[in-house]
Amino acid sequence: MTDPRLLDALGPSGPYRARKRETVTDGAGTPVAELSLTPRLFVTRALAALHRATPLPLERRLAALAEAGRVFRDDTVEGLTYAEYERTVARVSGIPLPAVRSAADEIADSAQRALAGAYGALPGGAVLDWRDPRTRTGAAVWTRRGEVLAVNAAGNHPAPHALWLEALALGYRVAIRPSRREPFTPHRLVSALRAAGFGDDHVVLLPTDHATADEVLQGADLALVYGGDDVVRKYAADPTVLVQGPGRTKILVTEGADWQTHLDMIVDSIAHHGGVKCVDATAVLVEGDPAPLARALAERLGALPSLPAEHEEAALPVQPVERARALERHLLERAQGTVAHLGGDGVVEELPGGGAVLRPAVFEAPDLKGGWHTVELPFPCVWVAPWNRADGTAALRDTLVLGVLSGDQDRDADLVDALVTEPTVANVYLGDHPTHWMDRGVPHDGYLGEFLMRTKTVIRG
Amino acid sequence: MSAADPILELPYGVTPDPEEFLRAAIRWHFSEETGAPFWLERADRLEFDPLTDIRSFDDLKLFPNLANELRDVRAEDLIPRGYGPRPKVVGVFDSGGTTGAPKRVVMLQEWLDLLLAHSNAQLDAHGVPRDVNWLMAIPSGPHMVGASFQQLVAGRGGLSFSVDVDPRWVKKIIARGEQTEAELYTEHLIDQLQHPLRSQDIGVLMLTPPVLERLCRRDELVDLVRKKVRAIMWVGTQLDPDTRNLYRTELFPDAVLCSGFGNTMTLGHVTERPGLTDDEPCVYDPFSPYMTYNVIDLQERRPVEYGERGRVVMHYVGKSLFLPNNLERDFGTRIRPLPGQVGDSVADIAPVPEFDDEKVIEGVY
Repeated sequence: MTDPRLLDALGPSGPYRARKRETVTDGAGTPVAELSLTPRLFVTRALAALHRATPLPLERRLAALAEAGRVFRDDTVEGLTYAEYERTVARVSGIPLPAVRSAADEIADSAQRALAGAYGALPGGAVLDWRDPRTRTGAAVWTRRGEVLAVNAAGNHPAPHALWLEALALGYRVAIRPSRREPFTPHRLVSALRAAGFGDDHVVLLPTDHATADEVLQGADLALVYGGDDVVRKYAADPTVLVQGPGRTKILVTEGADWQTHLDMIVDSIAHHGGVKCVDATAVLVEGDPAPLARALAERLGALPSLPAEHEEAALPVQPVERARALERHLLERAQGTVAHLGGDGVVEELPGGGAVLRPAVFEAPDLKGGWHTVELPFPCVWVAPWNRADGTAALRDTLVLGVLSGDQDRDADLVDALVTEPTVANVYLGDHPTHWMDRGVPHDGYLGEFLMRTKTVIRG
Repeated sequence: MSAADPILELPYGVTPDPEEFLRAAIRWHFSEETGAPFWLERADRLEFDPLTDIRSFDDLKLFPNLANELRDVRAEDLIPRGYGPRPKVVGVFDSGGTTGAPKRVVMLQEWLDLLLAHSNAQLDAHGVPRDVNWLMAIPSGPHMVGASFQQLVAGRGGLSFSVDVDPRWVKKIIARGEQTEAELYTEHLIDQLQHPLRSQDIGVLMLTPPVLERLCRRDELVDLVRKKVRAIMWVGTQLDPDTRNLYRTELFPDAVLCSGFGNTMTLGHVTERPGLTDDEPCVYDPFSPYMTYNVIDLQERRPVEYGERGRVVMHYVGKSLFLPNNLERDFGTRIRPLPGQVGDSVADIAPVPEFDDEKVIEGVY
C-alpha cells in the first residue's frame, strides 16, 4: 500500500499545503489522499487576488483552454498520469471507470470548444465589443455581470467541471471549492489550466470544510452551486447564485408508443454512467398499464454486472458499505406502497475487495399522487408509474430532461407545446434520444452565459 | 504603614515562595481586621479551617466553587477591610455573561499595577514596541480588558484609540442563528477601525481573530496595517495554526503577532509564551502564584496528562481578592509549566472539548 497523496490547495500564489487536512478514502475505506483544507483567511485573500487580476486577452484564453484540455486528458499532471487519474477517481468516487473516462473526454472537449458553448447565450442583437461599428448608431454590448465566479462543486460525477470552463472563456476568474469526496478532477483541471497559461490568480482550487464554504461564495461576484432541494431553497432569493439542483429526469410514454423498439434508449437513459448523473432518468411515466414496461426494464437492468468501479466493464456505482446500506434503507422505506420489479429485497452487493455495488431498482408506483416518482437516488433506480392524460403536465414539472415517446404525434402536439412552455421543465427530448444526450452548442440547464453575462447599450461618435 | 504581610506586597520581579505567600494571603482574607466581608461571612460555613488546613496550592481544591455567588454579592463586600475605607479602585467588572447573570469582581489599582508590570515584560519579550499608539477593538464598560489596556497603553507611552465591542450582543445574535446579523456587526467594527487606521499613527493593533480576518477582506486596510502596524495582538477566541502561519508569512510578515488570554475570575490577562513555533499551540503561562491553572479530568477529579485536554480550573490568590477553585466552562490542553511556576500552563482554550467541531460558532468574542 502506498502512502496517501498530498493534494494541495491551488492558491493565487501557487500550491498551498495546510496543516488541517482531510483524508480522502476509497470505497473500501483505504486512505488515498490527504486534501489540504484552506482556512477562511486564505479563502478571503485568494478571492481578493482574483478580483485584482486582469484576465488574459481572449485569444490567449482560448489557446490556453484548448491546451489545458489536452494536458488534462493526455499528460502527466502533478505527478499523476491520465491512467492513474481515472483509476483514482473511480476508486474514490465509485463512479464506473468508463463513465470517468467519458467525463474526462467531455471536459477536454469542452476546454477545446469553450467559447462555442459560451457564445450560445449571446443575444441575437448584441455585439461583443464596444468598438464594434454597430455601436456608432447604438447597439447592445454583451458584458460580464461580474469578474469572479465561485463554484461550489459536487462530487457525484466529474462532467460538471466542463461547465465553468465557459466562465474562463468569457474572462471570469474562477474559484473552485471541490467536493471533499472527489477533489481529483478539479485539482487536475486547475493544474492543467495553469500549465497551459492561466495565471495562478486566474483560477484557484480552494478545498474547505463545511463552515468555510460560504466564504468562497461571498468573496465572488457570482456563484454556481450544486445541491439538493435544501440548497435550492437556501439560494432561491439570491440573484447572484445559480443553483444546479436535483434533476428528476423523466421519460413519458404516451398511449400507443412502441416502447419495445426504444427499450435500449430507455435503459440507457436510466443506467448511463451508473445512474449518478442528474440527466439520468429516475421516473418513467406510462399512459396505460406500466407493468409490462417495468418488467422489461427489470430484466434488462438486472443483467448489469457487479464489478469494482475501476474495472473496464464497470457499469454500476460503488460506495462504502455503510453508505450503500444507508441508501438501501432509505430506498426500501420510500418504496413502501409500490410493487417491486427489481431490488425489492435490497440493492447492495458487497465486493470481495471492499465497498459495495449499488444494483439497479425498478419499482412500479400505483399513482403519481404518492410522489414516489420524485425520489432521485445516485444509482439506476427508476419509478414506473401510470400517467393519465387528465393529469396533464402537473406531474411532469420540476424536470431537468423530459423524454417523450409519443404514440401519436398529432394527438400529443398540444401536450408537447405545454411541456416546452412549462418553466420548470428545462429540456424536452422527443423520440429516440436518451435523456443524457448533450452537445456543446445546446444548453444543459439554460446557457451558463445567461447567468454570467448581460447586455448594455453603447452609443458613440 | 500597611497592615499586610510584606510578602503580599512584593514588587514585580520578586517572586514570593508560593506556599508562604498562600498562607499569608489566607491569613489576610480570613482575619476579622483585614478580610473581605464576603469571605468572613462564609468562613463558618466551610467544612475546614482555612488558616490551618490550607498549606499548599493543592489544598485549594478543598474550597467549594463560590464563583456563582459573585453574581449577586454586594460588590463592596468583596474588598478586604485591610485596605481601609477608601481603597484605590480601578472598577467593578463583569464576567462575559455567557450563561445567566454576570459574575462580578472589584479590581484594585494596586493589583493592576503589578499585572501591568508583568504584562509589559511579556510584551517586551515578544518585541511589541513601546511609545507607539494602540488601536483596540475590545470590550469596554463592564469588561475588565478595556480599562486594563487603557492603562497599559498609557504606561507604555502611547495613546489608545478604541472601537467598542459588545460581546453579549454578538453572542445573542449568534445564538439566534442570525449569521448575517453577526457579520454585519463585524463589518460595523471594521468600518470604525478604518478611520483611525487611516488618519492616526497606529503601531499596535489589538482585536479578535474574526475581526482581523474580516479586516483582511479590504485590501486598503491590509496595506495600512502593513505600512503602520508593528505588532498585532489577538484576543478573545482561538486562531487556528494555518491562519496564524498565514498572518506571519503572507499577510503581515514584518509585524509581531502574539495573543493574550484573559479571564475575569483571575483578574486579568497573560500573553502567550514567547518563542513558540508555528507548529506549536499557543501556550499561556499564568502569572504565578497570583493566577494559577489546573487542567483536570472532571469525572475522575485528577489532572489530565500533559498534552491531554481537560476542564480548566483557575485560582486567584492575591491581596485584593481570593477566588480559589473556580471551574471554568472552558477546556484546554495541559502544558508543562515554566520552572518555579505553580500549577499548569494551558493551550488551545476553547468552550468545547472538540474545538474543530463544525457546529460550534464562536463570534467576534
